[in-house]
Amino acid sequence: MPVIEVENLTKAYDGTKVVDGISFDVAEGEIFGIVGPNGAGKTTTVESVEGLRQPDAGSIRVLGLDPMHDRYELTQRVGAQLQESRLQDRIKVGEALELYASFYDQPADWHELLDRLGLNGKAGASYSSLSGGQKQRLAVALALVGSPEIAILDELTTGLDPQARRSVWENIEQIKEAGVTVVLVTHFMEEAERLCDRIMVVDRGKVVATDTPAGLVGRVGAEQRLRFRPSVPIEDADLTALPEVTSVKHSGSQLIVAGTGNIVHAVTSLLAQRRVIAEELRIEQNSLEDAYLALTGAEAISNGPETEVN
Amino acid sequence: MSATMKLTRTEGRLFARDPIALFFGLVFPGILLIALGYLFPGFDEPSADLDGKRYIDVYGPIVLVLGLATLGLVTLPPILATYRQFGILRRLRTTPVHPARLLWAQLAVHGVVAIVAAAFAVGGAVLAFDVPVPERPIWFVLSFLLAAASIFSIGLLVGALARTTTAGQAIGMGVYFPMLFLAGVWVPRVIMPDALLTVSDLTPLGSAVQALEDSWFGITPSAMNLAVMVVWAVIVGLLAVRVFRWE
Repeated sequence: MPVIEVENLTKAYDGTKVVDGISFDVAEGEIFGIVGPNGAGKTTTVESVEGLRQPDAGSIRVLGLDPMHDRYELTQRVGAQLQESRLQDRIKVGEALELYASFYDQPADWHELLDRLGLNGKAGASYSSLSGGQKQRLAVALALVGSPEIAILDELTTGLDPQARRSVWENIEQIKEAGVTVVLVTHFMEEAERLCDRIMVVDRGKVVATDTPAGLVGRVGAEQRLRFRPSVPIEDADLTALPEVTSVKHSGSQLIVAGTGNIVHAVTSLLAQRRVIAEELRIEQNSLEDAYLALTGAEAISNGPETEVN
Repeated sequence: MSATMKLTRTEGRLFARDPIALFFGLVFPGILLIALGYLFPGFDEPSADLDGKRYIDVYGPIVLVLGLATLGLVTLPPILATYRQFGILRRLRTTPVHPARLLWAQLAVHGVVAIVAAAFAVGGAVLAFDVPVPERPIWFVLSFLLAAASIFSIGLLVGALARTTTAGQAIGMGVYFPMLFLAGVWVPRVIMPDALLTVSDLTPLGSAVQALEDSWFGITPSAMNLAVMVVWAVIVGLLAVRVFRWE
């Protein structure tokens, strides 16, 4: 049974529909990702689920509750980390956690949360002295201090350096292991791919696709690319003659051969026949990033000069 | 301990960690009064300008109101604006505790600081300059509470309207200095021209100074002064509640 059910959610600001008929379900215990470009309506969607926004139309059920009507019960059972929300500069980490713990009927042990999130020894540190990663981990701790069944995390790792981001990812995996359902808003595909069981891609207020990361990649075609430098020149026409190959591009001295099916075997056999060695060979598959760009219609940025033949 | 008590305790600690707010809110009124008394020649002698009162007598109520105005108009609005700007109020809305309780906690902290600051100033004046202990104590306390309510209501309204910390400081200061002038900080009310005195009477700070001075020296405060403070507290307070935004 889904713990979050959203049907036909619509919300407009100043006549512009920011969320335009979004529907999705989140299953108990999963990490559900919401990805999309800036202004796609991700934050408005989760803030409606949290009861911070009154939708114009549509229905939302969270643990069977109406977020606007059953606020008290909902806030006891759903923890949130908000985008661009911070604490008082002079508050100490331990004070903030103790304070937030006092709001809930069944608070978690905040000392244990500190340890779990790698903030042990920071209880006496003031908020302003924390690094960006520590502030975000504290935000996670505050979202979990009420022992919620659902944690909603909005742009948790934006602005963090890669190392801090990875350590926050481990924390999110721990949350899932503890049995908490997680809704994760992000615009990092690597993050969504690594953490999410299912991903909803949102663009201009509408759902473009909802699927597993692998399912999303599959939707945009299972194209593979071989990138290599041939030891002796080889005619493009010989490669495009192979049924598996769809295109050949040149990038400096490298060839990029794209296609489907058993393209790796087909191309390497041809090269072996012609006694051509494929130097610096790399095989690239479509990533979630490619799938996301294809689904949202955003332009991919090419690296370096490439000339299309064919 | 209840969530409201915890919030109040936490906000109290945060206030105590701000040395500037602590100095100007807590000890400045008393220090100012004592410094004026010692530094200005004739400050503690009867003056014909003041209908035979001493400057120290007249300035007692003025520094009490100055202390309230500093807390209500200088300290409080930027805190409220910051809490909105930082998303602290919005974050509270996702918890079982309504953010209004944070406002009550702030008002409670400012109220306690105001009372301690007033006790320090009154005590200093009584001990150092033989100013009488307030002669109508119940009216005196009532006047002080009404003054606090009306001034903090204005601070709440400024905090409701200001979107950023800086705006909260700027608007607060913009209200603070004219109000202090009308309260008689630079020109005591007894020597104000009649027209100015009428304007002063209509402001909560001017009426507060008069009501505190009267009750301090054995006169029942005028109904007009008390009513001015009640009207400001109620109207501005309701307006602040109406326009207040949590985000």
